[in-house]
This record gives sequence, C-alpha cells and structure tokens, in this order.
Amino acid sequence: MYKKEEVILKVEKVNLTYDQPILRDVSFVVYNITRPNMLQGQVVSLVGRSGIGKTQLFKILAGLNKPNSGEVKIGSDLHPVVAGEVGVVPQNYILFNHRTILENLKIGANSSAAKLNDKAKLELINDYANKFGLKEHLKKYPMQLSGGQRQRVSIIQQILTGNRFILLDEPFSGLDPVIKDRVVELLISISTLDEQNTLVLVSHDIENAFAISDTAFILANQEHNFGSTITETIDLIEMGFCWDPEIKKNKDFQELVTQMKYRM
Amino acid sequence: MNSLKNLFTPLISISNRTFSILAIINILIAGALWQVFATGGLIPTPAKIGESFFKIIGSASFFDNLFISITLTLKGMGYSIIIALLISYLSTIPFFNPLAKFIIKCRYLTLTGLIFLFTLLTSNGHDLKMSLLIFGIVPFFVTSFLSILDSINEQEYELCKTLRMNNWQTLWEVIIVGRLDQVFEVMRQNFAIAWMMITMVEGLSMSEGGLGTMLIKSNKYIDLGTVFSILIIIFSIGVCFDFLLKQLRIWFFPYTKLQIKK
Repeated sequence: MYKKEEVILKVEKVNLTYDQPILRDVSFVVYNITRPNMLQGQVVSLVGRSGIGKTQLFKILAGLNKPNSGEVKIGSDLHPVVAGEVGVVPQNYILFNHRTILENLKIGANSSAAKLNDKAKLELINDYANKFGLKEHLKKYPMQLSGGQRQRVSIIQQILTGNRFILLDEPFSGLDPVIKDRVVELLISISTLDEQNTLVLVSHDIENAFAISDTAFILANQEHNFGSTITETIDLIEMGFCWDPEIKKNKDFQELVTQMKYRM
Repeated sequence: MNSLKNLFTPLISISNRTFSILAIINILIAGALWQVFATGGLIPTPAKIGESFFKIIGSASFFDNLFISITLTLKGMGYSIIIALLISYLSTIPFFNPLAKFIIKCRYLTLTGLIFLFTLLTSNGHDLKMSLLIFGIVPFFVTSFLSILDSINEQEYELCKTLRMNNWQTLWEVIIVGRLDQVFEVMRQNFAIAWMMITMVEGLSMSEGGLGTMLIKSNKYIDLGTVFSILIIIFSIGVCFDFLLKQLRIWFFPYTKLQIKK
C-alpha cells in the first residue's frame, strides 16, 4: 500500500550546451510517496553511461549551475531551486580537511535553518554519529577515515543542514561489493529517517541504484539528436521491486537490470 | 647485497636511518676529496675552514652580527607575510585582483636597478635594507600563495554553497582558515629567499653589521677560510630554520602530517 501524493521536484525542459549540446529537454518529476504507519522518503535514480552528462545535471539539480534554458523546481510550492536548498554528496566526498569530523558536522548543523543551541547541536551530531557508526571517529580528521566513512560523514553533514533533498553523485563508485551493500543499507535508512527525505542518486551502477530506488530515470542519447535526455522512466514500485531488502536476489529484478544494461 | 643494490635503484623508499648513514658517508667522501684536492691551492681545506670556524665562533662580535642578521630577516619576513597575505586575500575581490597580478609580475624587476629609488624613499640604512627585503620577498610569496589558491578544488567552494555559506564565509573557511597551514609552507620556502638575500642587503648598508657585513669584509681581504666558515654558518642556520618551520607547521596544524609525503 502506498500513495503518490504531490510533486516535490520538477525538472522542466532543462537544456545545457557548452561546445556542443550536453543535456536536451530533460524533464521529469518526483512525487512524495507515502505509506501508512511508516516514514517513507523517496529514492530516485538518474542512471546513465559515463560521460552522458549526469554530473552536469547533478549540478543543475543542486542549483550550483544554471542551465541554458529550463528550470528545476523543488518543495511543495515548487519554487526554483537555489544553491543550499539541496544537499550534495559528491563522488569524492569533499569535506573540510582542516577540520575534525565533529567540526565538519558542526558546520552542517550551524547552517541549519532550525536554530539550535550548542548543546542541542552536539546531541544531534552524537545521535547521528552513533546511528551511522562514526562515534569513535569524531575527533579524527577526514584524511584519517576510509572512503566509506567519509561518505557517511558527508551525508550526515548535509542532513544536519536540514535539507530534505540530497543528491549523491556516483555513491557506489570505487567501492567493493560488501561496502556497496552497506551503502545501500545506509541510503535506505536515511530515506526512512523522515517522510520528506528525498535522495536523488546519479549513478551508472544500474543494479545497486535500482535496488534502493522507487523510480529510475534513464539518461541517454537518442538517435539523430545531440545531447542526452530522459529516455525512459521506470516505476520500480509498480513493478514490485521496491522496498525489498532482498531484491537483488529476485530473478525478475536481475532480468530487468540485464535488459537495462543491454539497452544502455 | 640486495639492499646495496636498492641504494642505486630509482623510486626505492629507504628508512630515515639509512638516509642518515648515506648523508654522513656523502659528507665524509666530499670532505676527503676536498681536503686532497684543495691542499696547496687557493681554496681553503676543510681543516683550515674548521680552524676559522672556531675562531669566528669565539670572536666577541660574532653573536652580535648573527643576532642582527636573524632579527632583520625575521622582521623582514614578518612584514612581508602580512603584506603578501593581505594582497593574496584581497586578490579574491575582483577590484584588487589586478594589483595582485601586478605584484606577481614584479618578480621580474631587478633589485639592483631599484636600490637608488629605495635609497631616496627611505630615511636610513635599516629602512633601506628592510624595504629591499620586503620588495624581494613579497612577489615570490604572493606567487606561491596564489598558485595554492588556484589549485583549490572547485568542489570545496560548491560544498560551502550547499552549506549555505555566503562568499565572505567561504573566503574565511576555504581560503583563510583552510589554507593557513599552507601559509607556513610558503613561509618556509620564502625564508630561504629572505636568508639568501640578507647577505646582499647587509652589504648595501654596513653600519649595522650582520653576517653579510662580515662576509663582505672577509671577501675584501681574500680571507677565504673565514668566508667559507661564514657560508657554512649561514647554511646551517638556514637549514635549522627550515626544519623549525616544518615542525611548527605540523605542531600548529596536525592534519598536515596526514598529507605530507615524507
């Protein structure tokens, strides 16, 4: 049982051209999905091959870059996105290397719209650190952590800002299969922290992206047209592949993944 | 046999102990060759330099001169760092950017040609030395520091935007606080320039004394044993300061230890 409520993210005919067209008429919407008696955020994937323009679209969605035409609107009032309204977790998990993990997280908490006192901020940070296995690393510097740990810090830093939309660029890139499974678990747990939490994964890893998404958008080139666009929308809830922790073992799911790999 | 072969193989890591042993062996070989080939010639032998070295150390004026040179260098470095950092930070503001670009280009101005101008602009020998030191250091300091700022990953600025920082907060976090450790590194590199320049500027106004004055006087009387001894003293002090600044960087900014490749 689930319901697709109002639109909370709308991408309208986004075009981006540098020397040549990169993105062409990219349009898609993300709905607020609700399930009775549980917190259910949204996880959507933008899947495409390397070099297709995913990172450019990622920056436009975050409000960091402006498209040549088109618009990205977010929130229940669908206002144009502004940098700072969407959390960003880049592929290489950029953090402030001159600050400890605790200080990095404090910066996230300080930029939150909800004005908390220092004690409340610290409690919140400790709470997240406990939940995501970072408690013993709070006094360390980012360079002392592994890639997976830095990714968690980066995600928590963005959550602490109070942003409900979080973009993750290639969250599975360069990770071994065991860590990938942990990232999948982590993202699921973040999406269910709050009803409004919306994760947008930009990835070329079809299997893992599909395994945690409720909707996937395929970004690809079309014949006789320059620039990539959304060529397909896959409703993974309708297909019965959503919210199942064991979905990767499902034969039909694996068939879908194989088909998508072939088509891309 | 294998470890001996490693000493002559490229891109091989060696322990600190091995490095120290190699350094001592190199010095001993160089010293022995020097002693053999310099005997009877104009160039003083290591033994003669050693003799002059202890004579200089024992002289009453040596520590006064040393103090004068170190004070002048540190004072010059202090002023230069303040000026150079101000110019570097201001370069992030478009209005001041051309000024920073001009300062960088001043590296190509020769100091010798500007001595007369600085003599006119300053009221005494001390100020002349100080202004030449500052003018010599600032363009190199700004060049090094701006190249550090240029190499900052664009994503670091984007992170600030996603954390809702305004441009002033970003300047503070990424450029001022975030690169403070690198200021120490640039300072270390530029201390070498300052220390190298000190003997030159001290020669322009010898009334205050200093190691440069001692060096020029010894050169004048072709007292090469003393000249080489002073050079060794200048070199050793420079190396000590280099080590000290490196340690201070690690002490003040412990995270740099994680980034420095040994």
